[in-house]
Amino acid sequence: MSEAIYQKAIDAIMEADQKLALEAVRQHLDSGVDPMELMNKGFIVGISKVGDLFGSGKMFLPELMLAAEVMQAASQALNQAMPAGRESGYAHIHITAATVKGDIHDIGKGIGIALFRANGFTVHDLGRDVEAEVMIDDAVKNNSQIIATSALLTTTLSEQKKLEETLKKAGLKGKIKTMVAGAPVTPRWANRIGADIYAENAHEGVQGVIRAIKEG
Amino acid sequence: MTKIFTRMGDGSPLEMTEAELRGDIEDGISQAVEKGDVPPLTQEEIEYLVELFKRDDRFVGVPLGKEVILSYDAATLKIKRHALFEDRINALAIYERLLGADTLELCHVDYSYKVLKPIVSYEQATLEQALYNTHAPLFYGAMPNLGLYTQPDGPFPNPMELLPQGRIEEGRAAYDQMVEAAVEDICFIAEAMWESGADAINFDTVGASGDPDFKASLMAVERLRGKYPDLPIMVGMAGEFVLGMHGEMYYDGVRLAGLYPKDQLALAEKAGAAIFGPVVNTNANESTPWNLARTIALIKPCGETASIPIHANMGMGVGAVPVTDYPPVDVVSRASKAMVELCRLDGL
Repeated sequence: MSEAIYQKAIDAIMEADQKLALEAVRQHLDSGVDPMELMNKGFIVGISKVGDLFGSGKMFLPELMLAAEVMQAASQALNQAMPAGRESGYAHIHITAATVKGDIHDIGKGIGIALFRANGFTVHDLGRDVEAEVMIDDAVKNNSQIIATSALLTTTLSEQKKLEETLKKAGLKGKIKTMVAGAPVTPRWANRIGADIYAENAHEGVQGVIRAIKEG
Repeated sequence: MTKIFTRMGDGSPLEMTEAELRGDIEDGISQAVEKGDVPPLTQEEIEYLVELFKRDDRFVGVPLGKEVILSYDAATLKIKRHALFEDRINALAIYERLLGADTLELCHVDYSYKVLKPIVSYEQATLEQALYNTHAPLFYGAMPNLGLYTQPDGPFPNPMELLPQGRIEEGRAAYDQMVEAAVEDICFIAEAMWESGADAINFDTVGASGDPDFKASLMAVERLRGKYPDLPIMVGMAGEFVLGMHGEMYYDGVRLAGLYPKDQLALAEKAGAAIFGPVVNTNANESTPWNLARTIALIKPCGETASIPIHANMGMGVGAVPVTDYPPVDVVSRASKAMVELCRLDGL
């Protein structure tokens, strides 16, 4: 029975079917199994598949957004059934996201934010051409655990390094983790500047943040 | 055990055993087959790649008589990245006379059709001077770059702000308007430069803003070729598949989102493109053998089906060339040789 409900949750996300998602939640809660099980074995599996399809060019941004809305509705329904202090999904993880100073390219950032939101994260989008200090102020204000930056140009990459240096000066390096992404960004660059997470694409970014959270 | 020297997709050095090399090549092909719906490379082609990477030559090339056209996009812009502060006409001469370029491209540092409108008469004058001073076919090029049509840089709401808020129809409507405006701008500039004597027009990094970008480019090619049947247009792509930012854009009945190189080519040909430049992105996390095998598997079908010349994009971050400012010659030359010899390319 549980497997069928998990599959229903996966299908609901992949088909962006909110009615089906809420039906899976109701059936799961009726069965008395921990609500987190449905999130982990159903909805998160579904949204991960959506991320894979998006990364392969087999699913598109509007469809991703519809899947995200269903994910959000399912999370809310499951959270209502959770004991106080416990929460399913990643809504409690806040991410401050921006394209770095001097760079106006925001398509990659937008895709990343869409996928993070689809996975249930709370994202604070600061837009493009954003100073490192502004990102840090926002992260502090919203208690963000992650600052995610995108840079499309080799000439603006250095702003990601500036963010690391500014975090160090503010005594926040390590307390707020950083994720770097963008066409010229490489794992070597991430290591060199001391960024915590490197994202080759949006899907890898989500997986990287999940890993970083688990590792503490 | 003998180690084979190669590089990661970010250019860092890497040593592999032959088994590891072979494994990476086969894995890269598998990924191309799965993602791009293309046939795998043959065993003979796999052996070719293994032998190519086993060679200890610093630089490799194609045999005499097998050379292909070397066309350069954004040449007058890129030369400045190497701290060569030449004006644009000198830059073209350097490409033609020192770097072996078979075609040249004049471009402006603001490399987008939209921003060229107010300065088109200056560009026409520079083009005229460039034509007097060079011999090779001279393209004028820029990006369709639909990213410049959204507020605050343009008149339309930004779909990348609307879509993440779930305002899908508003986002799509903005894209529809952007396509119409971009077609007008691209045609305005292309017509002006063609009338001024350009030998061809380059649409560079087509699809950079997803399916609306690709659609605007195809529509502009179609319109320009309708008005000027002799105008050659090169369509160079931005990425290996068309990002579905709108998701419901069609050209000639084909949904544009998610198209890989061979299907992009078919539409570019249909619209009237004279040269097609396929792109496959380099993955910095994987080795050059992995990237090259994947790139060849994705681009080879273009050479097999094209009725127009194919000039694959081979530069920083595409065509298995590492993502680094100064891509090392050992892997750039290996990638170029293999692309020419296995993909039946007409140019790079």
